[in-house]
Amino acid sequence: MKKLYYNSKKCTACKTCEIVCAIGHSPSKDLYTAVLEENVALPSVRVYVGQEENYPMACRHCQDHPCVQACIAAALKYDPQEGLLFDQEKCVGCWMCVMVCPYGAVRPDFRDSKSVRCDLCVDIKDPRCAKNCPTKAILYVEEKR
Amino acid sequence: MKRVVIIGNSAAGISCAEALRKKDKEIKITILSREDYTGYNRCLISYYLAGDIKEDKLVYKPKKFYSENDIELLLNQKAGRIDSKKNQVVLEDKTRIDYDYLVLACGASPKLPEIKGIHKKGVFGFRTISDAKGMLELLPITQTACVLGGGLIGLKAAYGLKKRKIEVKVIVKSSQILSQILDKESAEMCKRRLVENGIEIVSGSQAQEIIGEGDCRAVKLDSGKVIAASIVVVGKGVKPNIELAEDSGIKFEEGVLVDDYMRTNIPNIYAAGDIAQSYDPILEKTAVNALWPNAIEQGLIVAASISGENKKYPGSVGMNSVEFFGLPVISFGITKTPDGFEEIALKDIRQDIYRKIVLKNNVIKGAVFVKKIENIGILLKLARLKVDVSGIKDKLLRPDFNFSFTKDLQYDKEEVYI
Amino acid sequence: MAENKFYGDSATQEMRQVAEDLGIQTVWDRELLQQPHCGFGLLGICCKNCNLGPCRIDPFNPNGPKLGVCGADADVIAARNLLRHITAGSACHNDHGRELTKAFKLAAQGKAPGYQITDESKLKVLAQEYGVKVEGRSPQDIAVDLADRIFAEYGQQEGELVLIQRAPKKTKEMWRKLGIMPRGIDREVVEALARTNMGVDNDYRSLMRHGMRVALSDGWGGSMIATELTDILFRSPRPLDSRVNLGVLKYDQVNILVHGHVPVLSDMIAQAASDPELIKLAKEKGASGITVAGICCTALEVLIRRGVPVAGNFLQQELALVTGVVEMLIVDLQCVMPSLPNIASNFHTKVVSTSPRAHFPGSEYVEFKEEQGYEIAKKLIQTAIENYPNRNQEKVHIPRATENLISGFTTEYIFEMLGGKTLSTYKPLNDGVAMGRIRGVAGVVGCDNPKMQSGETHIKLIKELLKNDVLVVQTGCAATACGKEGLLTPETAFKYAGKGLQEICEAVGCPPILHMGPCVDNSRILTACCEIVGAGGLGVGLDELPVVGIAPEWMSEKAIAIGWYFVASGALVIFGQPFPVYGAKNMTNFVTKEVEELTGGKWAFEIDPLKMAKITIEHMNSKRKALNLKPMMYQ
Repeated sequence: MKKLYYNSKKCTACKTCEIVCAIGHSPSKDLYTAVLEENVALPSVRVYVGQEENYPMACRHCQDHPCVQACIAAALKYDPQEGLLFDQEKCVGCWMCVMVCPYGAVRPDFRDSKSVRCDLCVDIKDPRCAKNCPTKAILYVEEKR
Repeated sequence: MKRVVIIGNSAAGISCAEALRKKDKEIKITILSREDYTGYNRCLISYYLAGDIKEDKLVYKPKKFYSENDIELLLNQKAGRIDSKKNQVVLEDKTRIDYDYLVLACGASPKLPEIKGIHKKGVFGFRTISDAKGMLELLPITQTACVLGGGLIGLKAAYGLKKRKIEVKVIVKSSQILSQILDKESAEMCKRRLVENGIEIVSGSQAQEIIGEGDCRAVKLDSGKVIAASIVVVGKGVKPNIELAEDSGIKFEEGVLVDDYMRTNIPNIYAAGDIAQSYDPILEKTAVNALWPNAIEQGLIVAASISGENKKYPGSVGMNSVEFFGLPVISFGITKTPDGFEEIALKDIRQDIYRKIVLKNNVIKGAVFVKKIENIGILLKLARLKVDVSGIKDKLLRPDFNFSFTKDLQYDKEEVYI
Repeated sequence: MAENKFYGDSATQEMRQVAEDLGIQTVWDRELLQQPHCGFGLLGICCKNCNLGPCRIDPFNPNGPKLGVCGADADVIAARNLLRHITAGSACHNDHGRELTKAFKLAAQGKAPGYQITDESKLKVLAQEYGVKVEGRSPQDIAVDLADRIFAEYGQQEGELVLIQRAPKKTKEMWRKLGIMPRGIDREVVEALARTNMGVDNDYRSLMRHGMRVALSDGWGGSMIATELTDILFRSPRPLDSRVNLGVLKYDQVNILVHGHVPVLSDMIAQAASDPELIKLAKEKGASGITVAGICCTALEVLIRRGVPVAGNFLQQELALVTGVVEMLIVDLQCVMPSLPNIASNFHTKVVSTSPRAHFPGSEYVEFKEEQGYEIAKKLIQTAIENYPNRNQEKVHIPRATENLISGFTTEYIFEMLGGKTLSTYKPLNDGVAMGRIRGVAGVVGCDNPKMQSGETHIKLIKELLKNDVLVVQTGCAATACGKEGLLTPETAFKYAGKGLQEICEAVGCPPILHMGPCVDNSRILTACCEIVGAGGLGVGLDELPVVGIAPEWMSEKAIAIGWYFVASGALVIFGQPFPVYGAKNMTNFVTKEVEELTGGKWAFEIDPLKMAKITIEHMNSKRKALNLKPMMYQ
């Protein structure tokens, strides 16, 4: 399957990925509407700023996926072709996934007790972060293993 | 045709059965359950009690799962003993079931203190749907509930009952709640949050007697004080259901002892889940870490062993994630720093932010994160793999600690940055 | 080419294809490369005013930064940024007014022989407003004094502007009460920049109040001065016919484009192009004549006064060069794309920049001086003619599309139009509104923008407005967009206008869309509104009028300034895409709601042209209701 990789040298921490991610996962999918929505959408990608390089991070859809085993609500599944499938409806916000994610790529949304994680933009089958990265620091390519 | 009998229909048993079926379409799989439900999300019963979710959300595996995977599910069947010589499980009704492989996934039960009246109606361990339903039934006639013990399960029940507008008093002998999983500081933070939200913590006492004619009416404490309560929850931890092992030659200590492949001392008998006492890479000895994620993982390991894949289990770790009234807390491993260990901590009492990491010889042995819980999973992984973190020790507590900080550490991880 | 390919009129689409075939990158291609535009920028929540930063407010992540390093929150950051935008826009108009004043004075002094005072009656009116003695004096003497008074107003520190006194009493009282009456022209701009410096004005409401004061100093100051002096110098426009779109360029003529904003240059070029000597030279070089055409607002200056054809609006400036038939592009300032010299380098086209304020690497710089205006213009045209033989015939392509248009409706002309020469009055218009034939007046103005629909938004909007009996007034590139669609003709009334509006147009003999000139002439809309109030029956303040200003495809900071002087004057102003403010909740609330309690005007943002029309109509209806006007006659 295709996965996201990041060129930390090219990342300027402009956070365009965060913004397009949040907009893409908002009900309206429109910047001006999304920022005024009651519960603004949270980005599932997050850029960590380093000294010389910057490090975006979103769910790795990793083959180990300890979060799937840890989920007490059976909200997570792993599919070798599609990666991690998250049924947000089932999530109760126990944060067990946050506890076990070795990449720190799952984040809690305390407002409605749901975890926030990358779905590789299944709706458009083309992750918005990679598509819109102005420096092409985010790559969406076949899994390296 | 080989037959696998799994005793226990929860996390370990089901994950084992499901994984086995994926690997082997032929093998016969039978699951025995004492309970009357198909697989359910045991850990969600506190959410159910609190009214945060409806009963349908408790369903982990519906009937369809068993039929689709050709798994024979025998409900309301209690195994009486194991005849390991004949490779048979003997049910309480004397029925014998043959097995080629036996998986003990029969879990654990609440520890009940041996006090007078402990078996009265209205006294609950908090482990099953029936427990939750029993409490819900009593809500209309309940003004006050007593929770005996300050353990995780008891407090989760306390939280659930409080959300149902019941007066809740938690009776704790020691001065610290959650002493099994938290250090003093983080426990204090939790306690404060509970108290602020109306849960009363009665420290320094323990229950002496449950009073009532058949039904529980009050709890008498060793201090002499009597607290009227029509619901009593016993939250003094759980003990593995080792009764089956006791007379069948299966070695056990606190739980059934297993090796790195989840095998007991008897070659075709395995154990997984809350009953199993397995290697703990943090404690560096065997331990019972009775937790849902561990149970799932162990079930998978058993399936791998039975199918001959022989996948080595990296070991179980004690870890917990809880949230009381908006205060999330995650901890794993050793949280109270023993002699000879090192601790680093960051505390912001005003904002309820706390991060503490316990190390030994530059290897992470445990951690507690309060409120800002993100990225703790990275530490858990480093701890499980015993990675020397001396190179990044000064960064571990930084609020922006993240995966990129581990880039110079060599351990089994995916390439993320190129 | 991608998504924005199908936007724009047919000539635009045709030329975009030509550009693509020639491998020339245009504004649309660059716009696609810029997508997505920075979200922080769009939301107005990045600040780079000091070196504590640059700082950004995280609009989505609750754990992200909510304050800049200095402690400024989203509202302060957005307000400071917005104030700077307003200020830059107003500075442009005010500076434009200053240029006109300079030319005006030189002309009066006889130092700029190419320029004369052509509208003496307007000169006298204006001089009297400025307190210059008129009786018994020569126009030149009056003009010199007037110019000095105006210059002084630029540097004025206290008091009030002169032309803002034209506003109704109620409106002026409102400004005084709010403390936003501009005190001088330059001082408000300077104060704005000082306020937005790190650690000065940290209250978004206060920043916005000053923003309105700056904008008022533009609309009722610099812009109005520019309009008035341009009329005096180059004649007051009256409706005339001309043609619009790239098809006005000619294969067999020397084509000279004027682009920019200040008519001091463009009018002189247009004047000199009819010099027999030059026409003779052009013929010698094998051309049949000289065509001067305009781009952007300077085109509209010479359009409304001389009927010079309009080659295109803002987005077409590059495409005009891609025709390969332009011998010379002469630019001054504002809205002139830096890409032009590079595009011209694909052809024989010479690009000449003329303003000491505006330099374009890759262009030839010939400083334009009013004193030698005519000679410089002649020389430039001569150079252009000499360039004609260099045209590469293999690279020429002129799209056929052109349309007729009528333009040149001024505040003063409307008097005449409505009442006839003897009975000058706005009364018929007011009656039309009061009786329910006309719902209200909408100014559809501003730029065209590839992020929107490259001009099409205007057309869709205006058709909807006309259908609903809204009289439309237009300026700037928005007007050109509609001209290209053939909407600026009297026939439009029959095709698109509602019955009530149609009746008025028939009775008065005017088109339903009145083209008033370039964007600096938005000041004409202000004065026209004053006349409407003055004619009675529609309230006593500007805020009571059923008037809406709309810039559907705005792009320039000048548009922000213009919008604000209308909002500060009591009008609802609608922008297509919002100006950068949505990342700041209180600021958004202020500009879209709270400000209405102060001035009676407010902002609305809506991208969909039909919804824009709906907002407009609803607003007019509510104003009509408040004025107790008759219901619409044909509904």
